Amino acid sequence: MIRIHILLLLFCYSIDVFGGMPTKDTLKADFGNLPSRIDLRPYLSSLEDNGGQLTLQQVLSSSFTRNDQLFHEQKKNSGKVHNCWLKLHVRNTGTKDSVLTLFAGWHDYMYWYAQDYSGNYHLLMTTGLMQDNANVERWEHYGFKVIVPPGQSRSFLLHITNKYYNENPLMPVLYNALQYGQFRNRQLEYYRKETVLIQVLLGMLLVCLCIAIINYIQLPDRSYLYFAAYMLGLILFFALRLESKPYQLSIFYHWPMLKYYWDIPALLFCFYLMYLSFGNAFLNLQERYPFMDKLFTTVAAFIGGIIIICFYCIAREQYQVPGMIYSYVYLATLLPLLAVFAALAKRSRHHPLVRFFLFGSLCFYMACFGSFLMLIRPLGLISALGEISAPSLLIILGVLLQSMFFLAGLSYRNKLVHHERTRTQELLIKQLNRNKELQHTLNEQLEELVKEQTTEILRKKQELDEQRKIQLETEYDKKLTEIELKAIRAQINPHFIFNCLNSIQLFVMQRDYEYAQKYLSDFSYLIRKTLDFSRRNFISLSDEIAYLSTYLGLEKMRFENKMEYEIIVDPAIATAELEIPAMLLQPYVENAVKYGMTNSDHPIGKLFIQFNQIESDMLECLVDDNGIGITRSKTMRTLPKHHQSSGMEISSNRAELLNKMYNTGIHIDIIDKSENNIGESGTIVRILIPQL
Amino acid sequence: MIKAVIIDDERNSRDIIALMLEKYCPEVEIAATACDCADGIATIKQHQPQLVFLDLEMPDGTGFDVLMGTQEETPFEAVFVTAFEKKFLHTIRFSEVEIILKPIDRESLTAAVHTIKKRIITQASKDRYKVLLNNFISGRSISLNILVPLANGQDSTIAVNEITHLEAGAEKCTFHLLDGQQFQTERSFRYYADLFSTLRFYQVNNYQMVQLSQISQINPNTNKLSLKNGEKLEIAERRKKDLIGYWKQYK
Repeated sequence: MIRIHILLLLFCYSIDVFGGMPTKDTLKADFGNLPSRIDLRPYLSSLEDNGGQLTLQQVLSSSFTRNDQLFHEQKKNSGKVHNCWLKLHVRNTGTKDSVLTLFAGWHDYMYWYAQDYSGNYHLLMTTGLMQDNANVERWEHYGFKVIVPPGQSRSFLLHITNKYYNENPLMPVLYNALQYGQFRNRQLEYYRKETVLIQVLLGMLLVCLCIAIINYIQLPDRSYLYFAAYMLGLILFFALRLESKPYQLSIFYHWPMLKYYWDIPALLFCFYLMYLSFGNAFLNLQERYPFMDKLFTTVAAFIGGIIIICFYCIAREQYQVPGMIYSYVYLATLLPLLAVFAALAKRSRHHPLVRFFLFGSLCFYMACFGSFLMLIRPLGLISALGEISAPSLLIILGVLLQSMFFLAGLSYRNKLVHHERTRTQELLIKQLNRNKELQHTLNEQLEELVKEQTTEILRKKQELDEQRKIQLETEYDKKLTEIELKAIRAQINPHFIFNCLNSIQLFVMQRDYEYAQKYLSDFSYLIRKTLDFSRRNFISLSDEIAYLSTYLGLEKMRFENKMEYEIIVDPAIATAELEIPAMLLQPYVENAVKYGMTNSDHPIGKLFIQFNQIESDMLECLVDDNGIGITRSKTMRTLPKHHQSSGMEISSNRAELLNKMYNTGIHIDIIDKSENNIGESGTIVRILIPQL
Repeated sequence: MIKAVIIDDERNSRDIIALMLEKYCPEVEIAATACDCADGIATIKQHQPQLVFLDLEMPDGTGFDVLMGTQEETPFEAVFVTAFEKKFLHTIRFSEVEIILKPIDRESLTAAVHTIKKRIITQASKDRYKVLLNNFISGRSISLNILVPLANGQDSTIAVNEITHLEAGAEKCTFHLLDGQQFQTERSFRYYADLFSTLRFYQVNNYQMVQLSQISQINPNTNKLSLKNGEKLEIAERRKKDLIGYWKQYK
C-alpha cells in the first residue's frame, strides 16, 4: 500500500515536473527526496570570462549560454587560464527544506554565490586549491551547499578559475547529504590508492637518498651528491604531488604555488640536469670520454638556463609555457639520448659502471616512452608530453628501476674503489713487507759487508802500515847505514893524514928525498884506495890486505919502528876471490896501532893480523895487539865524556850496520887479553865473516 | 929570547917544529921536548918555559891535560900544534889561543910566534887559558864562555848564553847581549858566523845572527822576530822557513 502510495506520489510528482513546463535550465528537484546524484550539466549555463576582469554585477548582466564542452570527466589540458562562471537555477519541488551539495571538482579558485529571496547574490563560500589553507578539512570545502526553501526557486553562481593549464575534472554533480558522504568516501578511497603508490615511492626514494648520503659520508664523491640531489628533487616532486590528492595528508598546502614551481622545473632538474651531472661524475667522463663530458656539461648548463626560464614563466603564471618547453626538450632529446646510450654502450666493455648507468637510464627512458605512448591516445600529443611526469605506474617503476640501477652502480663503484683501495693497500703492505725484508737483508748484507770490509781495510791498513813502516825503516836504515858506512869508510883519521904529510914535510926539510918519495907514494896509494873503497861496498881480501899493509907501513914510518906488525894469511884462502866489506878492518887496526904503543911494559907495539878459514864458509880475522888493553885504555882516557871520539863508537856498530845492510851475519868480538890471562895485556878483535 | 918547550908524541912532529923555529923564528929557544902528557908536565915544571908548543892528542891525554897539570906553575903562553882541530874547535877558538895546523907552514908559525912575543912583551892577561880550560871542562853544552878581542885592544869574556845576536859592522862584528850591552870585536862577522853556526845560532839575514834560545816570538807574516829582551829583528824571506823549523825543534 505504501509502495503504491509512493508510486502514485512519484507519478504525481513527475506529472508535476513534466507538466509544469519548466525552463530547460532550471533544475526542479524534490530536495527532501532526491532520487540519485544529479548530473548538473544540462542545467548549467556558463559564461567564459577570458580576461578575468568581470565583476559580479557585470556577470549578472551578461547572458549565460549552455556549453557542454566546458565539462570534462578527466583532467583536461586547456593550455590556458580557464575562468568561467556557472549559473544554476534550482527549484525545490519538494516540501522539505533539505540541504543539497554541489560538487564540481577540485579547482584552484572557487567562489560560490547564492541568490537570496530578494534576488540579490551573496558570496557564500570561497575555496580552491590555491587559496584554502585549512588543514585536512579543507577538502570538505569543495561541496557547495544548495539550500532552496520548498516550492521556491533559487539561482546560484559558481565562479571557477583555473590558472594551471591542466584542469582537474570539471563535472558538476548535485548530491544529497548521504550521497555526498558516499561520494566523499569513494574519492577518499580512490586517492588513497594513488597516494599509497606515491608514498611507497617516496619511501623508496628516501631509502635511496639515505644510502647515497651514507655512501657520500664514507666516500666523498661528487656523483653521490648529484644522485642525492636527484633523489631529493624527486622526493620533493612526488611529495608535492600529494598536494593535489584530495583527502590525503599534505604538508605544503600553505604554499600552494610550490607544486607548480617544482613541477616541470623538477622534471628538468632531475631528469636532465642532475641526471647529466650524475652521469658525468659517475662515469668520470672527463677522463674517459672528454667529448661526452663536454656534451653533458653543455646540455646540463642549457637545461639549467631553461629551468630558470621556467621559474620565470611560473612566476608570471604562464604555466603552460614550461610544459611546452618540457615537451620540446623531451622530444628533442629523445633520439640524441639513444645515440648517447649507444656511444656509451660501445665503451661499456672497458667500463663496467657504464652498464649500470645505461641500464638505469634505459629503464627510465623506456618507462617514459611507454608512458608517453600510453598517454598519447587519451590526451593527445602535447598533453601526453606534459603528463609524462605524472606518476603513472610505469614511470614510477622506471624511476625506481633507474634509482636502483644508479644506486647499484654507485655501490659497485664504491666496491670498485674499495677493492682498488684494498688491493692497493694490500699491494702496499706487501710491498712494504717486501721492502722491509729487503731492507733487512740488505742491512744484514751491508753490515756483513761493512764488517768484512772494515776488517779487511783495517787488516790491509795495518799490513800496509807495517809494510810501509818496514819499507821506510829498511829504506831509511839502508840509506842511513850506507851513509854511515860511507862516512866511516871515508873517515880515515885526519890526524893520520896530516901527520903523514907532516912527516913527509920533515923528510923534505931534512932533504931525505928518497924516504920522502916512498912515504909520499905510499901515502898517495892509501888516499887513492881510501877514496876508491869508500865508493864500494865489498872489496877482495887481497885488496884489504894490501891496504892494511900500506897503512901499517906508513904508521910504522911515523912511529919510527916503535911498532911492528905482521899479516898472516891462511894459505887456504883465495884472497883474490874472497870478498869482504870494504874498510871493515881499518878502524880496528888503527885503534890497535894507537893503543898498541901505549904499553910501558912493551916499548915496541906488536900487531898481528891473521886471516883464518876456520870453517868452509867462515873467515876469521884477528887483530891482536900487545897494548894496555881496551879496558885500561878506556879508564886512561882523560877526555871529558863529551869529547870522546866517535870513530870507535861508530866502528863498534859497524858489524850491525853491515849485517843490516847486506845480511852478512858478521860477528865482532873485542876481547881484552887480561880478562883471560892476568899476565898478558892487549886487545884481540875477532871478526867472523861468513862466506856468501 | 923566548924559552920554549915542545910536547908532541911524534918525533917527526917535534923535529919539524924545532927545525922550523930554528930556521924562521930564531928568537925562540927550544929548552926541551917531551913525547907525552906526563913527560910534558914534568918538562914544564923543570924548565919553566915562556912558551909551550902543545900537541892536542897524545896517547895518554890531550894538550889541555898538560895545561891543567901545570896550573900551579908560572903562567906561560901556549901554541897548540895539531893535525886536526875540528874536535876542539870551539874550545880553542873561543879562547883565542894560538893554534898551528900540521903540516906547519912558515907564515902561521911566524904569525903565532909574533903574537906570543907581543903578549909576552905587553904582559897580556892569561885569561884566555882560564876560558880555555873552562870550556874544555864544561864542553859544548852550557856555560861556554867566549873571549873576544875588542876594537880597543882589550879582551872581554862573555858567556855565550848571554848573547842575543851578532851583527855585522864595517869589517867588525858586534855582540849584542841580553842586558843590552854591546861589544864591538876585532874579528869579522863571517868568522863568528862560521864558528857559531853549529851552536844553535841562526843567521836570520845577511848581517844578523840570532841565538835561537833568545827568540820569544816569530811573526811569519811581517817577517819579524822578537827577542826576549823586546828587540825586533828582520827575517830574510828565504831563511824564514828554516828558522821556524829550527826554532820549533829547539823549543
